[in-house]
Amino acid sequence: MSVAATEAAAEPQGPSAPVELTDVSRWYGNVVAVNEVSFRLEPGVTGLLGPNGAGKSTLLHLMAGLLAPSAGSVRISGRPAFGDPHVYRVIGLVPEREAVYPFLTGREFVEANAKLQGLPDPAAAARRAIAEVDLTDAQNRPLGGYSKGMRQRAKVAAAFVHDPPILLLDEPFNGMDPRQRLHTMAFLRRLAEEGRTILFSSHILEEVERVADRVLVVIAGRLAASGDFRAIRRLMTDRPHTFTLRSSNDRRLAAELLEEPAVTGVSIEDGLLVAQAADYGAFSRAVAERARQAQVTLYEVLPTDESLESVFSYLVRG
Amino acid sequence: MNAVIASITLRQLLSRRRTLLLLALSALVILVAVLRRLSSTGSDAKFTADLLSTVGIATLMPLVALIFGTGAIGAELEEGTAVYVLAKPITRWMVMTTKLVIAIACSIGLTSVPILVAGLVAGGEGSTRLALAFALASAIGSALYCAIFVALSLVTSRAFIWGLGYVLVWEGFLSGLFTGTRTLSVREQTLAFTQAIANPAADVFKATLPLGTAVVVAAVVGVAAIAISLRRLTRIEIAGEVV
Repeated sequence: MSVAATEAAAEPQGPSAPVELTDVSRWYGNVVAVNEVSFRLEPGVTGLLGPNGAGKSTLLHLMAGLLAPSAGSVRISGRPAFGDPHVYRVIGLVPEREAVYPFLTGREFVEANAKLQGLPDPAAAARRAIAEVDLTDAQNRPLGGYSKGMRQRAKVAAAFVHDPPILLLDEPFNGMDPRQRLHTMAFLRRLAEEGRTILFSSHILEEVERVADRVLVVIAGRLAASGDFRAIRRLMTDRPHTFTLRSSNDRRLAAELLEEPAVTGVSIEDGLLVAQAADYGAFSRAVAERARQAQVTLYEVLPTDESLESVFSYLVRG
Repeated sequence: MNAVIASITLRQLLSRRRTLLLLALSALVILVAVLRRLSSTGSDAKFTADLLSTVGIATLMPLVALIFGTGAIGAELEEGTAVYVLAKPITRWMVMTTKLVIAIACSIGLTSVPILVAGLVAGGEGSTRLALAFALASAIGSALYCAIFVALSLVTSRAFIWGLGYVLVWEGFLSGLFTGTRTLSVREQTLAFTQAIANPAADVFKATLPLGTAVVVAAVVGVAAIAISLRRLTRIEIAGEVV
């Protein structure tokens, strides 16, 4: 089940980590959302990666003390996360749900969070957090009029306003445009370099790749892989890619494709030409030229298994 | 009381569209009183008592409390903003009491104040004391209703429907058929308080529930509602994705 890349973020051991899960399961009635998951988070950015519905949010809510584990223990700095409001002094949380108070301005919202944290100078803390997420220009407008990306950034500012050592973010880049995304990613990296423990969930591989040092891959409620991102990424890129092709003469094209070094296998299944390639890019570049040489007209070339789920299931099999 | 939670809750409750409806209803009570005063029949204590008990206590008070009581915490949980208050180093007791107090304050503002004004405007013999009695009793009734509806909103996500069912079916319908059910009616308890404050001997208005029963039942129900709310809010879970 697990991947060879298992490293620092994996098994619980030693003194209490900022966040530590031991044999955690969580079920709703008969449905198991999280199944015997153990890991500990250390300072740095950890990406919680998995397809939609894999249990990422449930895990994040367990860590944020908003859900009680059905079995096992979730500890924040050595203390149980659930049922203790004091954990929120050390945790900052960006929930996935978009709902905010539409009548509050960005500044009022962040400042309210600062006051609820009991900060001595909430106005200054809010100013600083708003500047960090680049919302100063929009801070006096009500949240109701914000774009989705702006709202996300306001949520990040609110979660960060009390300067917590642990930051948990549920799909934080959702709805942000590329520039905001890069800005927020750089911001998270900087926070991590200052020694904070940051965990964010995402179903997008590239997001995790850009920001995370370590990754936890969750599939169907289980921890499928954990460890250094580069090792896991290598496993992902090394796997074969599958394409389906439609052309004027599938058999002739199949024969021609076998000449191509990038192609590792060709078959005709249910009247569809299926090609396997070790190198995604090389295949994509070569296929048109090969079709021309075989004097075959290409109608369609489709990568078949580029969904995250298939990447994950490949990982799990690996 | 937490000032930030109080101010957010207040703005939240008052910014809803439903609140406009409540304002219209409050204004209606006063408008009826004004029209009666201006009409040829003039003022009459019996009419004032009827107006305040049927429109004020039996209609305005439960509706206002239902909307504010279920809106204070329940609506926030449903919309997903509750996490900004609950994921903070603040005890749940503080969150609950602050929200309850604000719901009660809003309810009193839109129930007891218009009842007082309508009573004074409608007039009639001894109407000042009558209006004051209705206003004071409705403040107690509003508080009790709010405590019940806040608890209900923490027990079920369909608190509004259940609350409306209680007001319409239990208090409005069953109480008329079976006298026993009146014991557990906030409306009847409020009317008992009104009579006690107004003038027990006055014949313009008669409560059906004895004062002693009303006091005991209201106290027990109020304490139970607060205890349930606190227990539920302390153990409440906020799920992420729905599995």
